[in-house]
Amino acid sequence: MSPAPSGQFGPPKPAPNWLGWLAFLFFIFVQVYSVLTSPADAMMGHLQKNMYVHVPAAWVTFGAFGVVLVASLYFLWKDDERADLLAASAAEVGSLFCGLTLVLGMLWGRPTWGVWWSWDARLTSTLVLFLIFVGYLSLRSFVEDPHRRGQWSAAVGILGAINVPIVWMSVQWWRTLHQIQSSPRGLAPEYLRGLMLNLAAFTLLTIWFIWRRYEAARYERAAEHAAQAAALGGYNG
Amino acid sequence: MASGIAGGGVGYVVASYVITWVVLGAMLVRTVGSVRRARAEYDQAAKGEFRT
Amino acid sequence: MAFNDDVRRIRAIVWKDLTTERRSKAGFNSVASLGVTILVLFGLALGPDGKALHDAAAGALWLAILFAGVLAFNRSYQVELDGGALEALLLYPGARWAIFAGKLIANLIFVTLMLVIVVAVGIVLFSVDIPATWPLIVFIMMLGVVGIVSLGTFYAAMSSRSRAREVLLPLLLYPMLIPVLLAAMSATKALLFGDVMNEAGAWMQMLVIFDVIFLVATFLAFEYVIEV
Repeated sequence: MSPAPSGQFGPPKPAPNWLGWLAFLFFIFVQVYSVLTSPADAMMGHLQKNMYVHVPAAWVTFGAFGVVLVASLYFLWKDDERADLLAASAAEVGSLFCGLTLVLGMLWGRPTWGVWWSWDARLTSTLVLFLIFVGYLSLRSFVEDPHRRGQWSAAVGILGAINVPIVWMSVQWWRTLHQIQSSPRGLAPEYLRGLMLNLAAFTLLTIWFIWRRYEAARYERAAEHAAQAAALGGYNG
Repeated sequence: MASGIAGGGVGYVVASYVITWVVLGAMLVRTVGSVRRARAEYDQAAKGEFRT
Repeated sequence: MAFNDDVRRIRAIVWKDLTTERRSKAGFNSVASLGVTILVLFGLALGPDGKALHDAAAGALWLAILFAGVLAFNRSYQVELDGGALEALLLYPGARWAIFAGKLIANLIFVTLMLVIVVAVGIVLFSVDIPATWPLIVFIMMLGVVGIVSLGTFYAAMSSRSRAREVLLPLLLYPMLIPVLLAAMSATKALLFGDVMNEAGAWMQMLVIFDVIFLVATFLAFEYVIEV
């Protein structure tokens, strides 16, 4: 990404169509494949299959938030509006997967732990991440000036990214002091292949979603620039 | 215990997959729609620029 | 030399903000009364049972300070915006961080004064026995207030200049304050109950670390937030 001259840019390069088809067909194939091939777990029975949607959703949530962080830093560094639009697209997609992760986690927690929610470090920091995403997106919708919106949301995104590991740490500490801790179990190899395939499929879908959302944002801004240019006399080279 | 969880769990698994597919499907529709709308808006604006 | 100038700028901003507050006591009085009202509401929610009130005192106190404090943060910029003074303030020569430092210190003093009133009322309403370690509790309260005020002053710089500022500030600020509040509440609670598990010290260390992290982060980011 090279800095755009004087903050103006034209239409984006569209995401290739085959990427979308590939992402969705691969996703469908992998989901069906992993559900059909994985044997029922000795402890959890068919509930184990929740792993193929919950874990990948959590994985891409944090990946998308990583994109927000990097794009925000890049925007503050280079003042390239395209980085801001990329951060916004990643935040939208990330918040979707973050909400999905939370709901799927509850649907897993209820039958295995007997509760919909537990105040442990992972759950709480994921919820806080979701709230930060929501705040980030509402801030964007409440500020009109593009440059101001970019700088403010970049600051909120970066501080939010600093905050999430701190929440994790503090809740972990809070829980440890109260002597309740869940012990993670190792993963049997027959489930690993399904999990890895689903991680790949979700990652591909996320890349495609972010790309297309970014494309839409670029078109919107390019349209505003074109309208401005037309208003200024139609020859803004 | 294990069989009890497994027996009652299928509903939760089905719900998880249904929710995932519905959410991703809705996102697909929304994303494709937004790109199409933004693109049409841009084409309109670009044409307007050339007319003047 | 240059540093001395910055110190003078910070002092001028602190003085200006506090003088404005002192001249119109309405702001402080209403925010402090709100803090007390929130404590009363917590008392009603947690029931007349003395034990339940006593157990929840630390949490209720911190939340009352948080909810009332949020009003102070937006106010500190709102007064500037109403008079069109923020632009003038930004035009003055000197580093931008001095503006942030000035507002931060003024808000610290404001919230600390409010905290004194709220805590005094809280001790009565929630039948808190003051432990021998009360100087430590005071120290923890100061650490917690530094965390709340640094993030609050920072986020209010954005929310006060956007549409929907009333909802935006809490929406952005509360999730960010979870670690600070959790540490402050836990440390206060531990000390109020005699610190049997010896955890107050650990929480206090975490609180110091959080304060340093958030102070550095907000000071660095303020430059970008106030620029436009």
